[in-house]
Amino acid sequence: MKKIYFLSFCFLILIKLCQAQQGPVKSISVNFQQATIEQFVTELEAKSGFHFFYDAMQFDSLKVTMQATNKPIETILSQAFKNTGFSFAITKQQQVFLTKGREIQTGLAVGYFGITTANATAANMSVSLANADLDKDKKIPEATTENKLYEIGIKTNTIEAGTATLSGYVKEAKSGESVTGASIYVTNTKTGVATDQFGYFTIKLPKGRQVLSVRGIGMRDTRRQIMLYSDGKIIIEMQEQVTSLKEVKISAEKVANVRNVQLGVNRLDIKSIKQVPTVFGEADILRVVLTLPGVQSVGEATTGFNVRGGSADQNLILMNDATIYNPSHFFGFFSSFNPDIVKDIELYKSSIPERFGGRLSSVLDVTNREGNKKKFTGSAGIGLITSRLNVEGPIIKNKTSFSFGGRTTYSDWLLKLLPDAYKHSSASFYDLNLDISHQIDDKNNLYLTSYISKDKFRLNSDTAYSYSNRNINLKWKHNFNNKLFSVITAGIDKYQYDVSSAGNPVNAYKLNFDINQSNFKTDFTYYLNRKNTVDFGLSSIYYKLHPGNFQPLGAQSLVAPDVIATQQALESALYLGDKFDVTDDLSISGGVRYSIYNFLGPQTVYNYAPNLPKTSANLLDSTYYASGKFIKTYSGPEIRLSARYQLGDNLSIKGGYNTLRQYIHLLSNTTAISPTDVWQLSDPNIKPQYGDQVSLGLYHNLKSNTIETSVEVYYKRLRDYLDYKSGANLVLNHHIETDVVGTQGKAYGVEFLVKKATGKANGWISYTYSRTFLRQNDPNAGDLINGGAYYPANFDKPHAFNFISNYRFSHRFSVSLNLTYSTGRPITLPIAKYEYGGSERVFYSDRNQYRIPDYFRSDFSMNIEGNHKVHQLTHNSFTIGVYNLTGRQNAYSTFFTEQGGAINGYKLSIFAKPIPFINYNIRF
Amino acid sequence: MKGKRYILILLLLAGIYSTCKKPYNPKIVDSPNHYLVVEGVINNGSDSTIIKLSRTVKISGTVSTSGVDNCAVSVEAEGGAAYSLTPRGSGTYVIPALNLDASKKYRLHIITGDSKEYASDYVVVKKTQPIDSIGFNIKNNNVQIYVNTHDAANSTRYYRWSYDETWRFHSRYQSAYMVDQVLKAVVFRPVSESSYYCFAGSKSSTIVIGSSAKLSQDVIYQQPVTTIASTSEKIETRYSILLKQYALTKEAYQFWENMKKNTEQLGSIFDAQPSQLTGNIHNLKDLAEPVIGYISVTNIQSKRVFIDNADLPRDWAPTYPYDCGPLDTALFFNPKTKQNDVLGIIINGNSIPVLDITEKMNVIGYTYSSIECTDCRIRGRVQTPSFWIER
Repeated sequence: MKKIYFLSFCFLILIKLCQAQQGPVKSISVNFQQATIEQFVTELEAKSGFHFFYDAMQFDSLKVTMQATNKPIETILSQAFKNTGFSFAITKQQQVFLTKGREIQTGLAVGYFGITTANATAANMSVSLANADLDKDKKIPEATTENKLYEIGIKTNTIEAGTATLSGYVKEAKSGESVTGASIYVTNTKTGVATDQFGYFTIKLPKGRQVLSVRGIGMRDTRRQIMLYSDGKIIIEMQEQVTSLKEVKISAEKVANVRNVQLGVNRLDIKSIKQVPTVFGEADILRVVLTLPGVQSVGEATTGFNVRGGSADQNLILMNDATIYNPSHFFGFFSSFNPDIVKDIELYKSSIPERFGGRLSSVLDVTNREGNKKKFTGSAGIGLITSRLNVEGPIIKNKTSFSFGGRTTYSDWLLKLLPDAYKHSSASFYDLNLDISHQIDDKNNLYLTSYISKDKFRLNSDTAYSYSNRNINLKWKHNFNNKLFSVITAGIDKYQYDVSSAGNPVNAYKLNFDINQSNFKTDFTYYLNRKNTVDFGLSSIYYKLHPGNFQPLGAQSLVAPDVIATQQALESALYLGDKFDVTDDLSISGGVRYSIYNFLGPQTVYNYAPNLPKTSANLLDSTYYASGKFIKTYSGPEIRLSARYQLGDNLSIKGGYNTLRQYIHLLSNTTAISPTDVWQLSDPNIKPQYGDQVSLGLYHNLKSNTIETSVEVYYKRLRDYLDYKSGANLVLNHHIETDVVGTQGKAYGVEFLVKKATGKANGWISYTYSRTFLRQNDPNAGDLINGGAYYPANFDKPHAFNFISNYRFSHRFSVSLNLTYSTGRPITLPIAKYEYGGSERVFYSDRNQYRIPDYFRSDFSMNIEGNHKVHQLTHNSFTIGVYNLTGRQNAYSTFFTEQGGAINGYKLSIFAKPIPFINYNIRF
Repeated sequence: MKGKRYILILLLLAGIYSTCKKPYNPKIVDSPNHYLVVEGVINNGSDSTIIKLSRTVKISGTVSTSGVDNCAVSVEAEGGAAYSLTPRGSGTYVIPALNLDASKKYRLHIITGDSKEYASDYVVVKKTQPIDSIGFNIKNNNVQIYVNTHDAANSTRYYRWSYDETWRFHSRYQSAYMVDQVLKAVVFRPVSESSYYCFAGSKSSTIVIGSSAKLSQDVIYQQPVTTIASTSEKIETRYSILLKQYALTKEAYQFWENMKKNTEQLGSIFDAQPSQLTGNIHNLKDLAEPVIGYISVTNIQSKRVFIDNADLPRDWAPTYPYDCGPLDTALFFNPKTKQNDVLGIIINGNSIPVLDITEKMNVIGYTYSSIECTDCRIRGRVQTPSFWIER
């Protein structure tokens, strides 16, 4: 290959030197019998006066047998090389280049001198004898150079009018990993497309010469020149962005931000996540998600997050399509995602694609990296509380790779330092990821994702807690042809916790909870034509939920076993969506997801007197349904609609409307999600949740797309969201419907985002004004919270401001600074006190009528990398920083509690001082 | 999720990560309201029924709650007799032993001075079983006192306890002398003025509830009642607890549990949010008016036990509540200052003489200390309670 390039290069110089010589076309006669290439060339050179250039090595097996009389040299060459795989090219300067497999472009890149495509092609007399139907060809061209013109499709002499479909695959040159979310933008037509999660893309283009400009997160910008004859394929290799001095990273959103039809989507790659300082120095995906506009949380050390007024259980958290029910470790100080495994994340707040469903507020789609397909690499990190190790590499080179990651904590040393009273406490967690990807052939890929996490903690009390996520899934991606491809996923997700207490032998117990879901889904994408991309598919989830199993522990225990009947349900959905480019400026994405939910037997369902509060007093009787029986079916369409209108090159306006349904509920009467909260399936007495959202956004990119700005407004309604009654018992409750009450919610807000993804200084600033209100207005609910009036939700924080920045002084040194401000969250405060039970006690106001003090925090970190010599065994880097730089004592919670018979108000701050951290990372 | 709060504290204690708890008094909380608070149990046993009426006060107010007098309070049987309680002042209303019909339901009826009428729901008479035993465990340098009880009929299930504690303690120094202000002299301390050993007491201030609802038998085993730190004066010499046991209905249990959650177990965001407290007492004309309290009808069972210091680990030492330091010396003639320190510091000062200082059989002065370190009577009573039994 190199030779060809070299020859091409030489030729480019020659062409300048001898532009004048050009004679009439000469006819010659030849007769060869088993002639070697030397004989063949010598004779032709003698007879025609043309000069031949070739690599003798490549032609050593060629024997030419032919006869021709008075034929032009082109004809002779065509005849000689017919069906041989050899090509030739003739220049105006009477030079002939012979190549194997691929022909040389004898002209300069089209447009180089401003020549139009048609002229350029006509001027170059190049004929390809190699089989040009690349779609059928086993080998898809690996387009590696920017300056080469790649021919796609079945070659024709003239370019036909019309369009052709170009599909392809973008991969990272060094590791062979696919590049997700790379944007391919066609300058001529101003159309663009982004690669999917596997690095594939398909685009409809006018035939002829096109320049694809390709951009990917963390990749060097590149472009490819193609000559599109008919439908075909291309593989594009991208180089990793190494020169971090000028360009830190190139965001795939650059164009996408303005041109995408979707609203309310944030995508972040792991590189920008790692720049954000966190409390223990380890990159934390969910902490960074919290800095995005429209995302709130109730407190500092909680992992549950709230998107646009939704509750924490209304987020679908996916890791390579596996549902993660509990995304936190260690009481929420860490998130479940190993930062060394993750490639990027995408948060859908508004336009949720049809293929997702089952949760009301958002989808957080975490994509793991594929293992390196070319060589073994790895990384390790050491922090104060956790360590992690990641190894990846090929199993079969260029075909199969694996990626393994593990994390563990050694926080017990911390507990050992404590006074005697805490000596018997322990807390630990670990998580393991193993992902395998395998390329069967060009059209078929398999991906295996597996994940296990476990948290254990025992405090000095005799109660031990543990919880665990377990996920495994297998994905098969199949390309039917250029226009249709499919992904079929099957997997199992499990979340479980158990609590056991052995302190009091008579009361010793063990309590288990678990939720199991088996998923199957197929997603198809069909590129109907240049204007329409159709997505369709179906999915099915079978839930099996054990809501509580309470068992005695030990022989002396008098605990009566209490088992809540297993719940099972089937949630299925069928979807169809179309992205329709009406004009260059107007695109509409419309879809319908029809979801059907069946609550299945065996189950005993309680029947309550109609139109009366669901209380045990109004319980009439119960009905038993046999195994597999459809007890209750809920179904309905979900609408996903969004549109974009381009107001200018860098300015667009978008609007969207969405409806969603949720059939599974988290029962929690605590402010934050606790690992021991119970999930509950919809049943005849508990309705599914329903939500809809309308949103509008304005997007503008400045300074040649280096600065992205956006404003989005939304209004959202929630229905049948579960809240609990005063003094509700949510654990081991055989008729949970008597303790919960359906709640209505409304949320609205405006989100501003300014993001600079490139340059020495990069980061984003976001400001959100948002409100979230809930209301219990079910007339059959009995006592209503706040008398049925709207009250602010726990996470209603009207003003939220985030400043996330990174400044790169050199390749090896950068600093990051975060500033976070938000209004304090609402709390219920006491309004009166009284004496009862020997102590002063407080009487509470209506729920959430007051607020804790405002929140402000600043964090700082320095990232120092070792030298950048390529050939060394390991690469080191340090992160040193301070969390809560100003040491502000932010209120985590406030509470009023009795102490020694008197009521006192307290404010609890967790990170009340500046907290230094250090993290050491190593790559090998 | 009480555990969560602990882990935060753990991190704090590690010294690296700092948690901090600070007083917090938002000024917004100042709505003037005076809701009626009704506390007490309709006692179906041999003791009196005592009902206390009070009103809520502003949270910022320093005034503690005061009683509501001038009310007509009565216990009423469903569709039958009424028994009037006698006002005792400070919002307390009393009636001696009621002999109620356990098969009937009863309620408390109140007409306030401003003619508002309140009543509880009619509640069943719930029988309280006797306390089986009271014991203690030594746990992490604490004495944890527990109770055992059971109901062979498996019908009690929900329990509440309250207790009165009494303990004997002593002052830091035993004073053998006192000042006779008439004689202006230091004299021997008579028995009637002894100030070394005293008795003190307190009532339970936390809600202690327990349930056997999840057990196969109605057994309460080692239900923690209260915890005393090893350094507490309560267990310095001898300690006594009178535990009262109340059977509750499930609804009453929920009321107490809710009150406990709302006022004793808040703070971490993993604790349940404060919720509205619904008792079983209502304004008969205005059901929306909040009235705090829950009326139960039961016989109260009680039991007293003693814990002697000799039963506890020997290396435990109490922490004296005042900073005393070693005894000082006051001489009749201070050779340095040439002053009569006994007169200046003890007789005319406020210091208490402890022991004499003799030289060649003559008293030349006294050791002395402050009243906090020598006189237990500022914190207790010398008189032995009638129920007190020595070891």
